Amino acid sequence: MSLLVGFSPHKDDHCAIDLACQLARSGGDDVTAVTVVPQGWPTPVAGATDREFERWAAEEGGACAEEARALLARHPDVASSSVWRAGRSVPQTLLTESTRLAARAVVIGSGPSGPHGAITITSKGERLLHSSPVAVALAPRGYRAGTDARITRADVAFRGDDASWSLLDRAAAVAREAGASLRLLTLAVRNRPMYPALVPGGEDMVFQRWVEQAEAAQAEAIDHLGSIGFAPEELEGVVATGRRWDEAFDQLEWTSGDLLVVGSSSSSIERLSHVFLGSSASKVVRHSPVPVLVVPPGRAG
Amino acid sequence: MTAQTTPRRPISFREQFLRRKPVVLKPVHREGEELARNLSTFQLMMFGVGATVGTGIFFVLGEAVPKAGPAVLISFVVAAIAAGLSALCYAELASAIPVSGSTYSYAYHAFGEGAAVFISGCVILEYGVSTSAVAVGWSGYFNELTHSLIGWQLPHALSVSPIPDLSGTEPGLINLPAVVLVLLCMVLLLRGATESATVNAIMVLIKLGVLVLFAVIGFSAFKADHFANFFGSGFAGVSAAAGTIFFSFIGLDAVATAGEEVKNPQKALPRAIIGALIIVSTIYLAVAAAGLAAKPPAYFAGPEMGEAGLAHILKEVTGNSFWSTVLAAGAVISIFSVTLVTLYGQTRIFFAIGRDGLVPRRFTHVHPRRMTPTFNTTVVAIAIAVVAGLVPADYLWDTVSIGTLMAFSVVAIGVIVMRRTHADLERPFKVPGYPVVPILTVLVCAYILYGLAPVTWIIFGVWTAIVLGFYLLWGRHHATLNTYTSDDEIAEPSGRRREDEATR
Repeated sequence: MSLLVGFSPHKDDHCAIDLACQLARSGGDDVTAVTVVPQGWPTPVAGATDREFERWAAEEGGACAEEARALLARHPDVASSSVWRAGRSVPQTLLTESTRLAARAVVIGSGPSGPHGAITITSKGERLLHSSPVAVALAPRGYRAGTDARITRADVAFRGDDASWSLLDRAAAVAREAGASLRLLTLAVRNRPMYPALVPGGEDMVFQRWVEQAEAAQAEAIDHLGSIGFAPEELEGVVATGRRWDEAFDQLEWTSGDLLVVGSSSSSIERLSHVFLGSSASKVVRHSPVPVLVVPPGRAG
Repeated sequence: MTAQTTPRRPISFREQFLRRKPVVLKPVHREGEELARNLSTFQLMMFGVGATVGTGIFFVLGEAVPKAGPAVLISFVVAAIAAGLSALCYAELASAIPVSGSTYSYAYHAFGEGAAVFISGCVILEYGVSTSAVAVGWSGYFNELTHSLIGWQLPHALSVSPIPDLSGTEPGLINLPAVVLVLLCMVLLLRGATESATVNAIMVLIKLGVLVLFAVIGFSAFKADHFANFFGSGFAGVSAAAGTIFFSFIGLDAVATAGEEVKNPQKALPRAIIGALIIVSTIYLAVAAAGLAAKPPAYFAGPEMGEAGLAHILKEVTGNSFWSTVLAAGAVISIFSVTLVTLYGQTRIFFAIGRDGLVPRRFTHVHPRRMTPTFNTTVVAIAIAVVAGLVPADYLWDTVSIGTLMAFSVVAIGVIVMRRTHADLERPFKVPGYPVVPILTVLVCAYILYGLAPVTWIIFGVWTAIVLGFYLLWGRHHATLNTYTSDDEIAEPSGRRREDEATR
């Protein structure tokens, strides 16, 4: 199986490549970096300018593929290749290429405009997340992985609903392949209280019950994972909440081998098997300090 | 004192009926996340004004003036005194037993299971039925608004309940706007929507704005003749009207429960409660006096007052529909928020009852994604929508009042009982003028209760019998206290940190 990296030229985009190599090392995949350059007009008889454009695109593509190859060379233990493709839409071309390669995930970076260390979903990333039939891995801006970096822990965004349960098995498969441990994370922002609050403590009461339910669901999930062969010391569950998402995230400790696995929304009206971020999932992605793997519902990783 | 472990031996019904729930508090907030004690007295006062104004004043004149005549002004004062005294007692109980779930929970901790069940019936009237009543009132203003804005309104059959009301309006099929309003609020609550402090402040300003507008225009048509024969209806009329009006003061107790959020509750709470009460009463008296100034008492008994009464008075006084439309619009917007808030209150009270196992546990199931009790909210909202769609408001108002007055009387008695049985309990707020205030509260509540119509008492009796019947057949066997094994199972989320919080 292979992993496809969407490489953006001229942006010093090593993050996605580093992440892809880290994932590949953990799962025994090979990595293909794909650079997309603009396609010329599909005119029946190409004019001189069209040819010139195509020539420029080919040169550009070649240079970019070379740039990617150099970055890939920093991970000599990972089988990799670098190609360029002409296409009118970057996400669409990446998806076509991932189908052709039967890639199991598309890996992208965060672009140059977001804050350092955080994941920013670029417009291309957004489109990819809306239409990819395979998992999408997102690297935070400035992400670096060493030449021996592996995934050591898969953090599953789990909240006890049906979608979470189906995600659990796929995250377990990811962890199993990488030999990583699993951590169940239930993250939430507390509901704001109603004004005027006629019933004292009304929201605290509901929140307390929610936490109990989340803990019970985690315990059940950990039992389930234990029954499919995970050792107890490889399993952990954390419920983290706060008044804002960053407060909830602040309560978690992270290591350099963490990979946060989130499920895409199960209520996507478009195509049910595709990746599509729900409102909580997209908040989780944007606040995650570690790389995120977004997996579509109902399909094996 | 620490909470005891479960009695494992079978207990008699008498013991169960009288057993109290131990107070076990468990902080739900992390260090530094506790409630900040940062409300000033003034903010708390405004909070009280916001929670109170609007529940009833938009509808209550049509009910109260026919009972008391011009002396309705006295009824307002009586109801205000009852509400103020009750709120003070409520504040002491809330500070002594800092648990969630309102009067119902205090009764469970202070008096035992039987009293808690009785009170649960009362608070369902206070919140659930008042949501229905408010929705019915909203329906009238909604029709008035659509009528004056686009010259169209829902057909009579779809905006009046099928049960005939007391003023002789022709029955219809269903009060559709009221049903739709409750269901809309349900959808918002299911999605986890809440009303923020800012929105609340805006709603308060809208409510106050249109009420002041009404008062000013009403006084411009002042006729002293309307106040002639001031005490024509006698004291019976005054107390009957006070019973109906009491409904308009519900919400003042919200101040009492916010004691945790002020620095010095002993000073701030009474000031805030009394301050809010003075502001609210002044506005209510101004509205009532302006209504009477503009129209003779006999007018209020007519069908004109049945729906959107204040708007009709404005229309007749000014001769055009501009100001009445403004008032109707203000009422439609602000009463919507009142419905949302009271419906929310009812779901959370049911949640508290469900936690104790006295209604099925499903009422406490929280949706993992939305973090709202979906089953609870749906069932409660549908029940309230059915009542709002089928029952005319005249029956609802007095029912709300009787439930609330009963609950408040129990609270006042609770203050006295708790002082005797738990003399050493920490009370961040103590009722000033003990024991006069709680005794006076019971007396004033009893006086108003005495004036309520026999039909209200019958409805209340039947309802209480249903609630107790359900307890005997179902709740008694499923109470959490029958089976709990550790204090954690009955622990109350607590926003404040206190040592030695457990009591029994």
